[in-house]
Amino acid sequence: MNSPDFSKMKKDCQNQRECFEILQSIIDGEATPQQKEHFMKEHLEQCMPCYKSYHLEVAIRELLKAKCSQHAPQELVESIRKKVIENLAQ
Amino acid sequence: MEEVIREQYSEREKQSIFNQEFMPHINSMYNFAYRLTLDSDDAKDLLQDTYLKAFRFIDSFQKGTNAKAWLFRILKNSFINDYRKKSKEPSKVDYQEVESYYNSEDVDRQITPDLRVEALQDMIGDEISVALNSLDVDFRTVIILCDLEGFKYEEMAKILDIPIGTVRSRLHRARNLLKEKLSEYAKKMGYKNA
Repeated sequence: MNSPDFSKMKKDCQNQRECFEILQSIIDGEATPQQKEHFMKEHLEQCMPCYKSYHLEVAIRELLKAKCSQHAPQELVESIRKKVIENLAQ
Repeated sequence: MEEVIREQYSEREKQSIFNQEFMPHINSMYNFAYRLTLDSDDAKDLLQDTYLKAFRFIDSFQKGTNAKAWLFRILKNSFINDYRKKSKEPSKVDYQEVESYYNSEDVDRQITPDLRVEALQDMIGDEISVALNSLDVDFRTVIILCDLEGFKYEEMAKILDIPIGTVRSRLHRARNLLKEKLSEYAKKMGYKNA
């Protein structure tokens, strides 16, 4: 996305709650293509609070993905595999 | 397992489903178990119980359906039935109460922290992990399912046995609460307007 002209953007959003809900659907891949197109093209680049909010949500998600995924210890994975094979043998 | 349809897999098929459909999700499942219990020993037990349960009830898994969602649902149910009671977590909040509290418009107005992307970029330690873990388990859960695991709202509704509308509103609240926590960290780090 190109950086919009900040000086021309609205400083307040009248529908912040509704906008946040649409924005959330877009980020979660739940919005229809029309909703997405309309919001991204018609609203986001003209509304400072929504523009900031969108980029903040994206950044939080990236941080979550980078910092909050723990892998299963290898010996646990092996032990589960082994128990299932024993189960099969019974 | 509420599914009525039951398959009759051969031993060979069972093993192949287990290895090819269930095992690839083991890291996501461990992470979910860990984020629910907040204890690595409990997480190990919960993960092992869940996988053995999944194997035991493998006939109620239909090939071609979403194995990951099926496994997550078993894990979440095991957590509620077997672990939540003995969990060290003090949060014994009545969930309805929490939900209606955060439903009020007042809270929405209050929770619009001016958290900035730059402040987040400086959180290179475990701030976000600590912030996530500090949320009530039901809020933590929707963030994990959606943001980390990429489940669709409909899948989340099935995993959690709640309506899609509740998935949406719970996510909305969870994200606001997480931002509130992050905003506190940002303030501590010296971002004045964070």
